[in-house]
Amino acid sequence: MPDDGGDWPSDHELLRRHVAGDAEAFGELFRRHRDRLWAVALRTVCDPEEAADALQDAMVSAFRRAADFRGESAVTTWLHRIVVNASLDRLRRRAARPALSAGDEQSFEALVAQDGDPARAADTRLDVNAALRLLPPQQRAALVVVDMLGFSVADAAAILDTSPGTVKSRCARARARLLPYVAHLQGNRSASESVSPAQGGDS
Amino acid sequence: MTHLDNDVLAEFRAGLLTGRRGTRIAAHLAGCERCTALDEQLAGISVLLASVPAPALPDRVARRLDTALAAEVARRDNPERARGDGAGESAAPARPAGHRGFPPWTWRVLIPAGAAVVLAAGGFGLSQIGHSTTSQSATSSAGGAQATSAARPSASRVNGPATAPIQGAAPRPLRMTPANFVVTTSSTEFARATFRQQVESDLRAAAASPETHAPLAPLRACVRKIAGDDTLQLVETARFEGGPATLIVARTGSDDTAWLAGPDCSATNRDVLATTSVPAGIS
Repeated sequence: MPDDGGDWPSDHELLRRHVAGDAEAFGELFRRHRDRLWAVALRTVCDPEEAADALQDAMVSAFRRAADFRGESAVTTWLHRIVVNASLDRLRRRAARPALSAGDEQSFEALVAQDGDPARAADTRLDVNAALRLLPPQQRAALVVVDMLGFSVADAAAILDTSPGTVKSRCARARARLLPYVAHLQGNRSASESVSPAQGGDS
Repeated sequence: MTHLDNDVLAEFRAGLLTGRRGTRIAAHLAGCERCTALDEQLAGISVLLASVPAPALPDRVARRLDTALAAEVARRDNPERARGDGAGESAAPARPAGHRGFPPWTWRVLIPAGAAVVLAAGGFGLSQIGHSTTSQSATSSAGGAQATSAARPSASRVNGPATAPIQGAAPRPLRMTPANFVVTTSSTEFARATFRQQVESDLRAAAASPETHAPLAPLRACVRKIAGDDTLQLVETARFEGGPATLIVARTGSDDTAWLAGPDCSATNRDVLATTSVPAGIS
């Protein structure tokens, strides 16, 4: 049965049918959204094998706990939250591999050096993956959900199970952490490096 | 005021610094090229992140999810098979009473009478032997050699050529993989509601060594796409909801996973119509 673009049956209806015992409904629901859920898991966990583990854990958890969903948010929000939680759980368990600190200039430089020419689009993507690894897990999750997946701060707060203010704060700190790295990617246009004229009068 | 540090810039841009402090920051930015440039780069981070293309879900992860999902469905249907996973199951009620009484499917017709006894001895749906037609499966009936491809539309897709009788018999290898497997022909009319039971019965029948033939390239590609490198238990042509389908059963861990592939299954499209998990060791 082909996907119907999401209109009917609705996500909510599929979840209801799943709880009522329909053997196909959850699979249909998950198939609709699993590409995006994969993006959440992979960008948050940063490792494909562990991301697959996290996504599977999340899927099984959602399958079993579907009756707990009360309709307080969109079904997709609920699914994203479960995936984020499963991803953060994986990261906690992977405590043996701590995230690199952005304050560590040596490792930062090493990351940049090994990624090749930052001007090429493919390398930019690689650079982004490396940059995300610089972030502590909760900041990374917030940035992935807001900046990469495009959720509003309000939806992100529901996904991350926190307040909008905390979402903004985590995103801000994450972006601040990435700033030196991205500045380097963009050829070091930081004003502390050059005395070139300002960009017109748009400040 | 000295220059703004990165955190302050970021918090200001995120709308977290307001009031008099915000006013001072805005005033500084208005007159400072360095901080303005950094602020623009900060904005650029969000743009850069948004522009990164979404990663594609790898096939092997998709397969893995299918397998895990099928296991969850099977576990929900058969709570006695739940392997001590302990945690409260989702609150799915027991299936309606009439669901599992007498599944409306037909038996394969290729099986010689002796093998039919094997099926019956498997203890599954014993009373169903001889029950040949239902509203879903009117086109097949027990008995008679109707199982060859004569009745099927030929097509350049997976299920058409694979059922043509031109391939000649090929012996089944000891261990089948997507690179080396043979195909069984059946006239099983799979139904969604009884898929798992039918897969189990077809697996048992496969143990009776029915005729097998070599697959054509489209089917090879389909099987490779769906089963990856997993050991195959059975590849069988069949029917599903009025159209051709191919049953693929592979060992995917401690259990087997079964997929029913539709005619559009190819190297680039899985076209999975149904999937389920079956306990290992049936075939």
